[in-house]
Amino acid sequence: MDQDRAPESGTLPDRESETIFALDNVPLELPIAGAASRSLAASIDYLLLGMLGILWLVAAIFALSSGLEGGWLAAVAIGGLFLLDWGYFAGCELAFGGRTPGKVALGLRVVSRTGGKAAPAAILVRNFVRLVDLFVGVPMMAADPLARRLGDRLAGTLVLRKAAAPAEVVLVRVPRGWGAREIAFVEALLERLDELSPERARELSRRALLWIQKSDPSFLPRIDEDDPAQALRRAFLTN
Amino acid sequence: MDYQRFLRTREPIWKGLEEGLLRARQRATALRYPDLEALAVHYRRVLHDFALARSRFPRTRAAERLAALALEGTYVLQLDHETSRFGIARFLTRTFPRAFREVSPQIAVAAALFVASAVFGLFLSMVQPGMALAFLGPEAVEELSEGKLWTDALGTVIPPSISSSAIATNNMSVAITAWAGGALAGLGAFYVLLLNGLLLGAAVGITAHYDLAGRLLTFVSAHGPLEITLILVTAGAGLSVGRALVEAGEPPRRESLPNAARAALSVLLGSLPWFVILGLVEGFVSPSPDVPAASKVLLGLTLESLFLVVAWNPFLRESQG
Repeated sequence: MDQDRAPESGTLPDRESETIFALDNVPLELPIAGAASRSLAASIDYLLLGMLGILWLVAAIFALSSGLEGGWLAAVAIGGLFLLDWGYFAGCELAFGGRTPGKVALGLRVVSRTGGKAAPAAILVRNFVRLVDLFVGVPMMAADPLARRLGDRLAGTLVLRKAAAPAEVVLVRVPRGWGAREIAFVEALLERLDELSPERARELSRRALLWIQKSDPSFLPRIDEDDPAQALRRAFLTN
Repeated sequence: MDYQRFLRTREPIWKGLEEGLLRARQRATALRYPDLEALAVHYRRVLHDFALARSRFPRTRAAERLAALALEGTYVLQLDHETSRFGIARFLTRTFPRAFREVSPQIAVAAALFVASAVFGLFLSMVQPGMALAFLGPEAVEELSEGKLWTDALGTVIPPSISSSAIATNNMSVAITAWAGGALAGLGAFYVLLLNGLLLGAAVGITAHYDLAGRLLTFVSAHGPLEITLILVTAGAGLSVGRALVEAGEPPRRESLPNAARAALSVLLGSLPWFVILGLVEGFVSPSPDVPAASKVLLGLTLESLFLVVAWNPFLRESQG
């Protein structure tokens, strides 16, 4: 599909997102992952990689001590360590759609510059230069509006934060004359009611109901003072 | 269109895309053409809904849900690379030779640097043997004075299977490091080339000082030529990326860098399997006293020629896609 990057604007680059033009020139914001979350994800992966390496060695030593033929087993153990060392990141990103366990934990994903799946060659390129990026990666990410390390620049990739999937608040009814601002407020309130203390939920719901009754009396003929939170839910989520 | 109606009429389409994307993520290969077509149609509708929601109902849950859905749809459906299956034959006969030819000027630069460094190492070992001895370490020097080469341990102390694996993985690590270091404006590749050239020159010079150069050259004759060639080729590929990084012009770096990196990656991937063959040769053939020197030389020349024929592929025409 024909997509392209948004043209450079005269304003300062936004560190949070990158705009691309999707199909039919619909602009999409790619949520760029910052240096901190990426470094944390890499730390988790290196920890895991170290543990896997130790496990591999322990398994090899165990196999050697159980009387298996030593020479070739040791050769396989050395080869396995090499593959683990150079192949862990690329292998995970290829197998799990641009994600390693560290990236999964932090909600990150590698994509192409146009927001699509990164090509296998791009995944290999960005991970073969990881050794160099251990030294220059963090300063490069900190200095770049798109938080790209050297490997990302060479591969033409970006690392995105996973966009939080919004809770399914589907308003069945909306008061007359309401715009996006009011709708967004009520949706946010309904979504967070359960997280608030009962007193706070009750107070906010009561004030919201009063405001709704004032703006559209036909939408809410009367206010249930006993359980305003439930009344708010009933008003918007049921017919 | 009001918000209620927007949700009521459009939500089935959003759910359709969500379900389609879930199926595509779970088993993309099981999707048939009609499934893909339906997915693309839903994606396009969702993009339009997202554009509408962003302008009419910004920051609402519908706008957020559509943004997330549009991003996921873009990820699954957007392909900006070749979708053909990776074919080893095609890679070896076309992609690799084409990339090799593309980076051949940088390989020539790498070779020149290596040779200059080796000559310097040789010169240093003749003029200042003490300094050259420092490169090899005290144990190797002691062995040399006893008429033994440090390579003798390969055939006697360490089993050939282990030394083969260790040598192959070490050489591949060096090659990848030289390649990746080239991306650092060429600095890493320069370091690997100059250091290895210096060590080779110094080793030949010092062994000549102890009248052991013949034995060393016999030892390296089976694997040495190709090993050096592979280091030069991977470092040259790295230099080509470094060049794209520092060279300003058209196309812009945003395009030229990934292009150069892809070509360099092809060269690296085409070179790495040869290190496994070399590891086996260096572990089993090179240290073996049973293999005559002439056979080792012949094997070395055969491997070198074979690699160059595969890498250059004289049968490849520029017009071939």
